[in-house]
Amino acid sequence: MDVFILLLEGIFVSFEPLNLGLLVFGCLIGLFVGAMPGLGSVNGVAILIPITFIIPPTAAIIFLAAVYYGAMYGGAISSVMLGIPGASTAVATVFDGRPLAVKGEAMTALTAAAVGSFVGGTVSVILFTLFAPPLAEVALRFNAPETFALMVMAFATFVGLGGDDVPKTIFSILIGLALSTIGLDLITGKPRLIFFNIPGFLHGINFLVLAIGIYGIGEMLWTLEETKGKVQMSKLSVNMKEVGRAFGALKKTIMAMNIGSFLGFFVGILPAAGATPASLMSYGITKQLSKNSKEFGSGVPAGVVAPECANNSASTGSMLPMLTLGIPGSPTTAILLGGMILWGLTPGPLLFTQEPEFVWGLIGSLYIANFFTLVLNIALIPAFLMVLRIPFAILAPVIFVLCVTGGYAPTQSLHDVWLMLLFGFAGYILRKLDYPVAPAVLSIVLGPLAEKALRQSLILSDGSMGIFFDMAEKPIAAIIMYIAIVLLIMPAFGPLYRKFFKKAQTT
Amino acid sequence: MSIIKKLALVIVSLSLVAVSSVSSAKPFSPKKPIELIIPAGQGGGADEIARLVQGVIEKNDYASKPVIPINKKGGSGGEAMTYVKKKAGDEHTLIITLNNVLTTPVNQPELGIDFFNDFTPLARLITDTFLVWIATEGKNTQGVETFDDFIALARGNGLVMGGTGSMSEDELLLGMMRGQFGFDAKYVPYDGGGAVAKGLVGGESDFTLNNPSEQMGFYQSGDSKALVMMTPERNPAFPEVPSSYELGYPDLEYYMMRAFMAPAGVDAEVEKYYTGLLHTVYHDNEFQTFNIDDGKLMSWLEGYGLKDFLAIEYAKHGEIIKNFD
Repeated sequence: MDVFILLLEGIFVSFEPLNLGLLVFGCLIGLFVGAMPGLGSVNGVAILIPITFIIPPTAAIIFLAAVYYGAMYGGAISSVMLGIPGASTAVATVFDGRPLAVKGEAMTALTAAAVGSFVGGTVSVILFTLFAPPLAEVALRFNAPETFALMVMAFATFVGLGGDDVPKTIFSILIGLALSTIGLDLITGKPRLIFFNIPGFLHGINFLVLAIGIYGIGEMLWTLEETKGKVQMSKLSVNMKEVGRAFGALKKTIMAMNIGSFLGFFVGILPAAGATPASLMSYGITKQLSKNSKEFGSGVPAGVVAPECANNSASTGSMLPMLTLGIPGSPTTAILLGGMILWGLTPGPLLFTQEPEFVWGLIGSLYIANFFTLVLNIALIPAFLMVLRIPFAILAPVIFVLCVTGGYAPTQSLHDVWLMLLFGFAGYILRKLDYPVAPAVLSIVLGPLAEKALRQSLILSDGSMGIFFDMAEKPIAAIIMYIAIVLLIMPAFGPLYRKFFKKAQTT
Repeated sequence: MSIIKKLALVIVSLSLVAVSSVSSAKPFSPKKPIELIIPAGQGGGADEIARLVQGVIEKNDYASKPVIPINKKGGSGGEAMTYVKKKAGDEHTLIITLNNVLTTPVNQPELGIDFFNDFTPLARLITDTFLVWIATEGKNTQGVETFDDFIALARGNGLVMGGTGSMSEDELLLGMMRGQFGFDAKYVPYDGGGAVAKGLVGGESDFTLNNPSEQMGFYQSGDSKALVMMTPERNPAFPEVPSSYELGYPDLEYYMMRAFMAPAGVDAEVEKYYTGLLHTVYHDNEFQTFNIDDGKLMSWLEGYGLKDFLAIEYAKHGEIIKNFD
């Protein structure tokens, strides 16, 4: 097979000393960038672009892809250890990663994150290798109605996310959606919901501001109240028994790995979605399909594997539209795309034939980068665990500082820091009242994507909702929409079904 | 300081002298990274030029601090312009223009942007052209070979046009064409020119009015084709595409200016520094080659010439908007 020869050549390219050195270096930088709240793969890659002008394009893309990759792994570290999402792609990792760490099973959480990332990354790079051209065709056919259908499916899976209290979950989703409409109207460009004419609202509410507020500040307040400042972490020893237990726990996460890898890849190849929605959707779907979905959120390894697997898978997937169609599949690939143009390459359908060394060098390097980041991560777990030995009296101010910088960094406005604090208190209160907050975070990420796709679709159809259910014209949209509806009503009918089923059994 | 840096400084200062009259005040140099605001999404024409300018500056060390492109695509440039307006007097902020800087202040008076007083125009580097694009395998445009075929088809049918946002250049152009050729189309807005190009090839829209670079990948692969370029002459990058003058439609002429502006209220020294920097970029070999290959027109303009040009364009766009509804 031609593909394998090309791939082999690509792997050889990434073993050239310069390329290999940059690859390992890139992975390390990525880990750091990902782990620092407020710095994500987007900032990391953007900051490093200038360095790449002095090295050949192939080395440059290998380096930047390694940073992108490493950041996907790194985000999990602060999500688990500090309860602050290190990057937007690791928000869903907090849902179960943090409770695991609090229970004293940080080792399991970190191992699950590293292995999940590795599996997701590897599956998606294999899919990429084998099916890139036909998948580019799928991405091309995936337009506004299909995107909206996919978003509805994501929301449907999240109705089940908040436990059995469906009304409270829907309330939380609606809060997120309302917050996501603040800013400038996506279609007409008119300002909307600019409260008190404060200009800071013009750029809308950055999703990290909400996520860091709720999980960073809110969590800290919660911990303070629960423990009155006397936080003690237990079971910190790293021995072979612990390691064995951590890997043992992975057996139960096979379904999460499957969902994360395939869903992540698929969402990744769709233009404009990227790793953040992918990880959130993967978490939601895994939870809903899991047998013990009630335990999600209280610290199950599958809840860490699902998002981590998906974000790595999606980051590889998002390189596909970048290379084959010249359009970014995520904010980070948008910057990579800019780099490619400057290196003198024309991304588009001809890139694979015109620049095989570049394309296959990149693909080959992804295999190697995956392996290296896994090894690095597992090796560094004892170092990460040291964080838990720090007394809470020292750790709390550090977390606070990281939250503030994380809230400030994306838009560089203090307005967002105040908002973040406000969301922190609001999140704490919602939590006391037993409202799930994860759905609100999901909605603020997916809200703008869904709104834009909905309005584009309705312009195309002259306002008819039929465009989403037209099996003849738009089969992909229609099928996804029907699946979404089934997912939406499943939790409602589940208990009823079980009730009747049990009754039937007893009588 | 490296030799390259020294050389770059010499070039910058030489061009400063060339561009502007000699000044006695202390020359300005940036003290922190320079924010380059892009009033459009990633992957579009403005984004590409902004990142090219960034790349050329970084690669050759033309500036002592890095340039950081920031996309603020909200509201047809409204978000970006509001941001730059607020930065009045800031010496480390630049904005690259699309024509939306001429239309958004008129269309969105509530933003309170005064085009002539809220910005300091520095230089125009490039003018970008527009073409009418259809997909080679477009299901509603089968058999369309020439621009006249297209007009005939568009008159009878409500075709769908993909564009870059409400009241952006391509929607204005559609308005112009509506008046000239008597057809209308359904306008669907996307995030940036890259997404518009993909929407065309993906079959969601029937035609687009993309810039050359936005369709280049698909054009080279044969997935999309251009029917007319809205210029007096053919462009060497698209030798087989007729110009609108050739086809007998001299009124169909429209350009996108790629100019740079600073916020209002910056010192003359700052203005000189950035104009000089842009001038250096403009004459960079790589910059020239890249743009010419991409079908763009190199068209340096600064100072009073630029101010006059902007005033004329502003008035012209005001006219187009007035006739729009």
